[in-house]
Amino acid sequence: MDVNWAQVLVNSLVTGSLYLIASVGLTLTYGLSGFPNFAYAEYISLGGFVGYFVADELGAGLPAAFIVAFLVVGVVGFLCYRGIFQPMARRGATIIHLMVASIALGLILRHLIPVFGDFIPALGWSWAPSYFTITWVAFDFGPVRLTGLWLWTIFTAVALSVVLHFLLTRTRIGKAIRATSSNPDLALASGIDVEKVIWITWFLGAGLAAVAGIFRGAETQVWPMTGWEMILPVFAVVMLGGIGNFYGAIAAAFIIGLAENIGVVALTALGLSTSYRIGIAFLILIITLIVKPQGLAMFFRRS
Amino acid sequence: MDPSMYLLDLVVFIGIFGIMSLSLNLEFGFTGLANFGKVVFFLIGAYSYALLSQAGFPFYLCLIIGALIAAVFGFLISLPALRLRTDYLAIVILTSGEIIRLIVKTEDWIAGGDWGTSVAPAIALPGASAHAGILVNIGLVYVCLFICFTISRLLTNSPYGRVMRAIREDEVAAEALGKDRAKYKAQILMLGSAMAGLAGGLYVQYLHYVLPGMFLPIVTFTVWIMVLLGGPANCWGALLGAALVEVFDRGANLAKDLLTLPTDASNLQYILFGVLILLVLLYRPQGLLKESAVKTRATERVRSLGGAVRNKED
Repeated sequence: MDVNWAQVLVNSLVTGSLYLIASVGLTLTYGLSGFPNFAYAEYISLGGFVGYFVADELGAGLPAAFIVAFLVVGVVGFLCYRGIFQPMARRGATIIHLMVASIALGLILRHLIPVFGDFIPALGWSWAPSYFTITWVAFDFGPVRLTGLWLWTIFTAVALSVVLHFLLTRTRIGKAIRATSSNPDLALASGIDVEKVIWITWFLGAGLAAVAGIFRGAETQVWPMTGWEMILPVFAVVMLGGIGNFYGAIAAAFIIGLAENIGVVALTALGLSTSYRIGIAFLILIITLIVKPQGLAMFFRRS
Repeated sequence: MDPSMYLLDLVVFIGIFGIMSLSLNLEFGFTGLANFGKVVFFLIGAYSYALLSQAGFPFYLCLIIGALIAAVFGFLISLPALRLRTDYLAIVILTSGEIIRLIVKTEDWIAGGDWGTSVAPAIALPGASAHAGILVNIGLVYVCLFICFTISRLLTNSPYGRVMRAIREDEVAAEALGKDRAKYKAQILMLGSAMAGLAGGLYVQYLHYVLPGMFLPIVTFTVWIMVLLGGPANCWGALLGAALVEVFDRGANLAKDLLTLPTDASNLQYILFGVLILLVLLYRPQGLLKESAVKTRATERVRSLGGAVRNKED
């Protein structure tokens, strides 16, 4: 079998970029609040739907779709924390209760999407998949083919990494996020408004999930399970990168992107279904947790 | 369907999910294990039953072997999972459910892939009425439920049960007292998985078919609602929760047919499920029934002597 390895590398870069955008929010909120928010998958789906509504139903174009989806889903993320998780944590809920609540919340959000679609037909939301109508130009660089969407995905991931790096290291809020993540009590004692820091992170995290939802939706389709379909690689990135570790997540996203695309080549060579590609992320997740539960965090300074 | 059949059908479902609820109650309620993949073991029991009965095994062997295979999977999952923190365990079990469902969905040769396959009923009565068939099922399911309930009660009221609660409250302290927490957790996961596998077998022989779409993550979540609503660490609570959730489910289904809503009612049903669990978690995290006190001959005697133990606990 002839494999175009240059193309495999480019595909890995695209996959990795998407996973990075999709995982940053989860890893930051997980690190700050100390529990995995399973409703995070629904932020991705919701982002796809809001983006689809703005870009396709309203015809306002993709840039507007990204901004609106970021803001709307960001507010949803903030409200989830403020309305449910924060009161629960204050009443001394255990981590199991918080996780169950996040699954319940995910269930509510996922099924609210088609309900909204039924009551407001203009949204164009339903269980049936919707497709972005934007067509992307394909570029050929030698043996490698790239679409405009892929270039935007890579560009966004790079821009996100740079912006977040400067946000986390150079700004007050970024330093406050890192301080709260590593030691909430000390952060509080140092005069940091820990609550506000957590709120802002939940807003940013959900907003970034929404951006990933649009990229994923434009690449495949938008439906209420869009986010759930990505939950495995997203959790694999968070675990491999080390919970709450942004630099670890960058490395992990590209490692998993590469492993998945090489895995697809291997699965094809073995005559197995390529739908097993998410199994590769699962294997990485399991191996990480057995061998080094703190992930790649040891290679990076804490963020 | 005529109303009496509808009610009997509900009784069967309560029995099957009562077994699921009891098994999660052992894992989560008593031992504090966050098993977010009950559906994995339910699926394994179901598919084992389907394949074994196709191979010509009698139904009781299908159920027992299915439960044993599910227990083996429980053991396999416990290997990486038990040394892990609660949240890691939850993520591993939850995601492994997606993988197992993907496998039975993709591999057509196992049991018809996405389309599933038909399953023979456990006890076939040729020529009998539908009523008789469902009554036989009720008998079978409730015998199994009774066995699981008795095992749960005996186990949790024994010294073993006290170790389970100790691990839930403070596993490091339990370990310091010489209790091998990994061993206990693995045993509980195996027992819980066996019960879930048994429920899976009963489920598919009752419905007469098996397909991957029956094993979505919502099944796991439904069982969690049952345990949390009924009252964790209380076997009666687990049964009460199973009954309430199934009745609620049926009620919502009936309402769906009677009301004309401008939206698909099944979406609303899931939303109601989610809201229900959030309300329980926010306002009554201990569930409807309180945790049952350890009941042995000795504690009974102490209680009859003046209830000092009980008062102290309150």
